[in-house]
Amino acid sequence: MDIMDIIVLVLLFSGLFFLTGGAVGILRFPDFYSRLHPAGKLDTLGSLLAMTAFALFNLHHFSLGALLTSLKILLIVVFIFLASPTATHGIVDAGVRAGLAPWTKGQKRR
Amino acid sequence: MKIIGLIIVVVTGALLIYAAADFPAWSDPASPASTYLSPYFIEKTMEETSVPNIVTAVLADYRGFDTMFETTVIFSAGVVCFFLLRISRREEEEPETRYYRHVLTGVTIQLKEGYKIPPSADFERIDAVWTPPDLIIKTGCRILIPFIQLFALYVIAHGHHSPGGGFQGGVILGASVILFAISHDLRTAVRRMSEKLIGILCAVGVSIYAGTGALCLLLKQNFLDYSALAGVLHVDPITARSHGILMVEIGVGIAVLATMIWIYNNISSAGRYRQGL
Repeated sequence: MDIMDIIVLVLLFSGLFFLTGGAVGILRFPDFYSRLHPAGKLDTLGSLLAMTAFALFNLHHFSLGALLTSLKILLIVVFIFLASPTATHGIVDAGVRAGLAPWTKGQKRR
Repeated sequence: MKIIGLIIVVVTGALLIYAAADFPAWSDPASPASTYLSPYFIEKTMEETSVPNIVTAVLADYRGFDTMFETTVIFSAGVVCFFLLRISRREEEEPETRYYRHVLTGVTIQLKEGYKIPPSADFERIDAVWTPPDLIIKTGCRILIPFIQLFALYVIAHGHHSPGGGFQGGVILGASVILFAISHDLRTAVRRMSEKLIGILCAVGVSIYAGTGALCLLLKQNFLDYSALAGVLHVDPITARSHGILMVEIGVGIAVLATMIWIYNNISSAGRYRQGL
């Protein structure tokens, strides 16, 4: 149990924490727009932290091949970081253009 | 009529299930596949084709015919979509009203009864239901699309050594163009990659595959026996098989790319090639 393992575990569990929060949020929030909030933000951050943990764990036995694999995982992180918020924005934009009104306090869940 | 159909379905299903009982059990070491087929491929692929990825070698070399007709099936799927859905302009009311947008100022003008503006950088033709593309989505896709296409080329070219090949790479390439059509609009995407070009590419992909096979036939070997290409490529017959696999993978990639875009264009705009979705 060296310092690297502890960092990996902390990153992995904080990633899992955010992913769980995202899943609970998608189930519990009242309408389309507010459900997209956890789906866009928490999933991005959660997978970002978890992927970084994978990349670090992969460097445990250090070699050039392992470094390349870690770099590829980090490239996936960059891709998710760019694509997921853009996709969420696109879905919200489509909802606004289709004329869906946001939920306000006191209304029923939909 | 429904009852007859139900009877046919039930009888066919029962026959299939009955026949499936004769299959060898899962991971049965005495089954024909495990006694000589798999060990042969595992042992001989590297020395016969010099391709480390056995799946690629089996797909494009040992079972080249199967893959060639799979590519043909994809080609026919694109052609069928085109024939079923495409509505040519002659059937619609003529002359049509055209809309143009001045790119710098955003002013939209409407031209009636078949008048048109010659193509220029100042005006772009738009649809009646045009909505301005969102800046965030446009920029995000503009950053991502080149890397997606680069990765697709990597997947096609690296099929010999890692999971991948023509089908997967072609799908990723097609998806990048579809992403462009979603983030901008269909008319912009069709302007970049015209309908004619897509149709030609679709046929060219299949022709590259079949042409490679026919070339082997011309060089006095069996159809799709790539070792015949050794003389043309100036390599030994084993490396020639590896290069032949790469050639047909490129053909598959082109065919899949064009078919993906063709099907998307036709389905999303219901064959009118106007504002998609």
